[in-house]
Formats: sequence, structure tokens, C-alpha cells
Amino acid sequence: MAVKESLPAPDELTDEQQEAVEHLLYRLADDEFVVAERYTEWQVRSPTLESDLALANIAQDELGHARLWYDLLEDFGYTESELVWERDPSEWRHSTLVEQPFAEGDWADAIVRSYLYDQAEYIRLEALEESSYPRIRDRIQKIIQEEDYHREHAENWMSRLAEEKQGLERLQTAFDRLFPYALTLFAPTDEDVEDRIDELGLRSDPLDVMREEWLDVVVPFFEDLGVSVDDAELPEQYDVHHSEFDLPEHVGRDQSHTDAWFDLQEEFTHTYQKLDRHEANRIMKDPDEA
Amino acid sequence: MIWEVFRQENAGDYHEHCGNVHAPDREMALMFAEVQHARRKPTNSLWVAPKDEIGEVDTEDAKFGGTTDKSYRWAVTYDFEAAASEVEESTDEQAEADRRRKVQQEKQEAQGGD
Amino acid sequence: MDIEEVKRRAGPREFSPKDDLPEEYRKAATRMIQFHANSEIMGAYLERPFIREAPSLDRKLACSAKVQDEIGHGQLLYRAAESLGLKTRDEMLDELANGEGKFLNCFHYPMESWVETPMIAFFVDGAAMRRQATLKRTSWEPYAHAMDKVCFEEGFHVKHGEAILHELMTGSKKEQEMTQEAFEVWWPRIIQFFGPTNDKSTHHGFASEVGLKQMGNDELRTAFLNAYIPKAEKYGLEIPDEPRIRKNDDGTYEVVEEDLDWDEFFTIAKNDYDGSHQQINGRQKAQEAVDWVREVLDEHEAREFGSTQQQAAD
Repeated sequence: MAVKESLPAPDELTDEQQEAVEHLLYRLADDEFVVAERYTEWQVRSPTLESDLALANIAQDELGHARLWYDLLEDFGYTESELVWERDPSEWRHSTLVEQPFAEGDWADAIVRSYLYDQAEYIRLEALEESSYPRIRDRIQKIIQEEDYHREHAENWMSRLAEEKQGLERLQTAFDRLFPYALTLFAPTDEDVEDRIDELGLRSDPLDVMREEWLDVVVPFFEDLGVSVDDAELPEQYDVHHSEFDLPEHVGRDQSHTDAWFDLQEEFTHTYQKLDRHEANRIMKDPDEA
Repeated sequence: MIWEVFRQENAGDYHEHCGNVHAPDREMALMFAEVQHARRKPTNSLWVAPKDEIGEVDTEDAKFGGTTDKSYRWAVTYDFEAAASEVEESTDEQAEADRRRKVQQEKQEAQGGD
Repeated sequence: MDIEEVKRRAGPREFSPKDDLPEEYRKAATRMIQFHANSEIMGAYLERPFIREAPSLDRKLACSAKVQDEIGHGQLLYRAAESLGLKTRDEMLDELANGEGKFLNCFHYPMESWVETPMIAFFVDGAAMRRQATLKRTSWEPYAHAMDKVCFEEGFHVKHGEAILHELMTGSKKEQEMTQEAFEVWWPRIIQFFGPTNDKSTHHGFASEVGLKQMGNDELRTAFLNAYIPKAEKYGLEIPDEPRIRKNDDGTYEVVEEDLDWDEFFTIAKNDYDGSHQQINGRQKAQEAVDWVREVLDEHEAREFGSTQQQAAD
């Protein structure tokens, strides 16, 4: 395959290369961390005990993936404290899809969100399998193998919820609300840096190609279930519907966030702040030694 | 119709799969299983279940226990002297399960080759 | 089987769903296992906010895994209770939601700060594990089987709790002081976990006679104190002066009953404490909010299998 020449070790990257790697890693790590943080809200609140266990497991998978990506940012000298616990919330780069709060009992939101997210996640991980940055490439297999369950979980739930009128209505409502935010998954952090990510071969597909691929998967799936995508503001490049590609006001990737994010960040840093912590304690071995 | 047979040796033990029988219904399946699978082996109880009703997921389809590091959910990760014997027992059981899991994973990786 | 035969045969893992057991046994076993299952759920409910509060990535993972396990234990235990044929899981969860279901005293108190987490995860779980280890020999086989798996997993909980305690007690002076304060608040509740000494209640006596319970509360309390007082002291926690605990020459402990608030304990036992209302109502609201999903699943199941009727509970 046309693998670009591998980039050197973290401490040998040029500033421009490092900036590109960092942007890519923040996209990955912040998404995974925040989506997991939201998923854990379903613990002890899921529809059945069995579904509670399953979603908790997915949350742990995603959080574990975030941990692996943050660890690669630590190569550049950052600490977990700086990356997670002390970073200004207005510097995070996750998509605004994952920061949205759940209305109580809105299981359809949890399922639609995870479907939209996990399909996108799978596509972007595949595009990293031959990344020119060896530290990313080396971690992909372990991560991608955990994603099959996530997609299967979301698909199985969606098809069952869609069988009943009230389930279908709730899926539709969740889709209508979440879809514009889901499009931000493919928004650039910064146009120039994203171009550089592609030029350096850090990922094999640019954002718009991945977005098309994602739309080709998710749009027919929703339509088959009876969820209408007619009102969705699909990007004009997508050839089924032609409407303006209109992202929501807050994109996340460019560090603009909805109010819900700032509340969430305050909550999850609360203990750390209150105890005047300066370090995040580890339980597990460093990923390079595990 | 095929029925899977599960045998329990002593009261309180787990029923373990021990084979199957051809039979036209549950009653006949139990009757046949009794002789086919319990005429010598010590048996306290037998279960039968229609083969078609049994679902399966195996290592071809699933990564049981995940592929990334999940040591946070294992007692052995926490290096403290067990507070009580039951904590120690649990830790030992987990250490054993973890060991067997790793052996199995290595075996699968060696076989799978990818 | 009549009750005399049950008492005669009552050994470890002696009875299973195929046995024709008297109503009295089924009722006592259901009461006991349902209480246990409810406690798993309410414990998880109490701890769930601390997944969010956890001050490191690893700790957050461990907290999520721990709450997940507790729900898993609830799942195992409700099945063991269901298999007695008196109540379905849905009925038991509804009873828990509407305030009829009973659960452990410690889970009726609100928990507000991270420094309180080891009070549950180390001490209460340690106490629970002591009891659970003896229940591997209970006479109801499905209950014993549930205990095999619960005990297998529970070692992680206690050690995880100990790790948090260790971290706090080797942390800043502020953390140590906050933890000591929390310990003083929780200690009497933890002692009350095992109920009043020399409990002569009828439930207790019967449960022992038919082999459901394998060890008395006094013995369990002694074993717990023997193991966990040294641990508390090792981490620099000071054992509060009250309740007074006297160690006898034979290694047993005597807790001075009058130093404990039994009015509060029995108010809690009736689900009538302020915290009880808070915990029960909060969880009820969460359970009802996803009623619609269970309805969808029931309808799906009816289409697949032709009936929504709950299978006879074995």
C-alpha cells in the first residue's frame, strides 16, 4: 500500500508536524473521553439491568481509548493533569455531539448518539490503520477490535426500538436533534492543520471523504428503519439530498462549545479541584509497558 | 430434533454440558438422556434444552473481556495485603482467571496469525 | 417437602428449583435474597455520582467498573430470588421503586464527597463480603451460585476501596482530615451493618434453621472488626470513642449498644429516614423514565415468542 514514509519519534518531529499530530490526537482523545463521561450517566439508570452492564462496558472501552490517546499526547511532555483535569474547557476539541446532555429516560438519544458516533469512529480508525505516525498506528488494532460490539449494540437497539410507534418517534426526535451535531464529527479543527494531517499521511482519508463514507452508511440505515432524514441538513456534496451544509453554532472541533459542556467539565473536575489535587493518580501500568 | 444435555454431579454443583440426544420432545429427551449420559457418571440432575434454542457467540465473533488494558477491574492490580481471607480468596481466583485468559489469548494470537 | 424435612436436610446448596419446597421456606429465602439484591442496586445508586467525581482517568474507570459489577450482582441475585417462584424481577424492582423494598442501612445515607467513597467501597463492601463469603454455603443453590460469582468479583471492590483510602490518607493534610471526619460519620453506621447484637428476631432464627443463613450477625461483626480495625489504624484513621467497642479475652468484640442510634436504624429499616426517601425516590424516577423502553422490549418479545407472559419464574 502507498504508506507514506513514517514520521520520526515524538521528540524529533518538527513543530509543524507535532502540531498536526496533536490536533489529530485531541480530536480522538477528547471525543472518547467526553462520550464516555456522558455514557456513564446511564449507569444504574438504563432500561434493564443487562442493558446497564452493556452500556457501562462501552463507556469503559471508550474511556480506555481516551486514555491511550492522551498517553500519546504525554509524549510531548504534557501530563494527564494538564490534558484532562486542568485544561481550560474552552480548549477542548471534541465534537459537540458527545457533550450534549441526556434528558432523563431518553434512551433513544443514547442509542442514536452511539450509532452516529460509533459509525464515524470506525471509519476514522480505519483511516488510521496505516498512519505515518507509528505511535498511532501501533495502537489502532487493540482499539478497533472493541468497536464491533459498539456498532452491533447500537444497531440492534435501533432496529428493536424502531419496531414500535413510540420507539420510532423517539428515534426520530433524537435523530433530528443530534444529526446536526453529528456532522461536527467531521469538522476541521483548523483548515491548515487538517490539510497538513492529510499531507503527512497521518490518516489515509481526509475529513470530507470520511464524511461521505459515513453518510453512505448511516443515512440508508435510518431510512430503512423508517426514520426520516428529509429534514436533515445534509452536506451538499452528498448526492441524495441537496441542501446547505450547515453546522450548528457550536462545532467543538474549533473549541466552540455549548453551555452543557462547561457544566459537565465543572462536574467532572469538582473533586480534583476541591481536594487541591495537582496530579492524577495512576492505577494501571503505562500503556507502553502493559 | 436434537437436545443438548447438561449434567449435574452433586446437589449444589453447576450443570455442565455433557452431550446430546435425538428425541421428538422434551419428555423423551430426558428419558433418553438419563440412560445415554447418566448411566455410569454420578448424577444428581440432568437438564435438556433444544439445540436450536441455544445461541452462541465465540472468539470468532467477540473479544471477550476486551482488547485494551482493563486491569482496573482486577483485584490483583491493587497491591495491598488482603484485609481478610475472603478478599484474598477472591484475589487469587481473579489472578487464576487472568492467567488462564492470557494463556488463551496467546494461543489464539499464535493460531490466528493476524 | 414439609418444613421439618427442610430443617433436617438443610445443608449447603441443598435445595434447588426442582425441589417441592414449602411456602415458608420460599418466602424466607425470597425476603432475604430480595433484600440482598435491592442492596446491590441501592449501593450502586449511591456510588454512581462518583464515577463522574473521580479525580483521575484510572480511578474513573475503576469506579465505573465497580458500579457495573454491583448492577451485575443485582442481576444475579434477582434471578436467584425469582427462581423461588414467588415474585418476578419486575415485581421486585417495582417494590424497590415504590418504597416497599428493603435494603442495607448504609445505603440510606446520602453521600456527598469523594472522601466518603472508601467508607462504602472499603468498609461496607468489606463487611458485605464477609457475609457473602459465608453465603456460598447457603441452602438455596441458585443463591449459592450467585455468591460464587459475586465473591469472585468483590475482591476488586474492596481493594479498590482500600486504594482510595490509602491515597487519601497519604495525601495532603486536608485530605486526611476530611477522610477522618467522614470516617467518624460513617463508623457507627458501618457497625450497625450487622444489626443489633444477639439478634433474636424470628426471621433470623428461621433463616438459620433452614440453612439460608450460615453465620450469625455477632460472629460476622467480630470477624469484620478483627480484620478492618487494624486496617483503619494502619492508614492512620482514629477509631471514634463511640460506639465503645470492648474486646473480650476470647477475641470477640462487644459493642456497647446504647452508644448507637437504634431509633435511626429502625426508622431506616422501615424506609422512613430522610435519606431513604431521597434515595428511593431518585431511583424510582430514573426507573420510570425508561418504562417506555421496557414496554417496547416486551412488545418485541411478544412478537418473537408469541406471549408477553413472564415465564414461570424458574
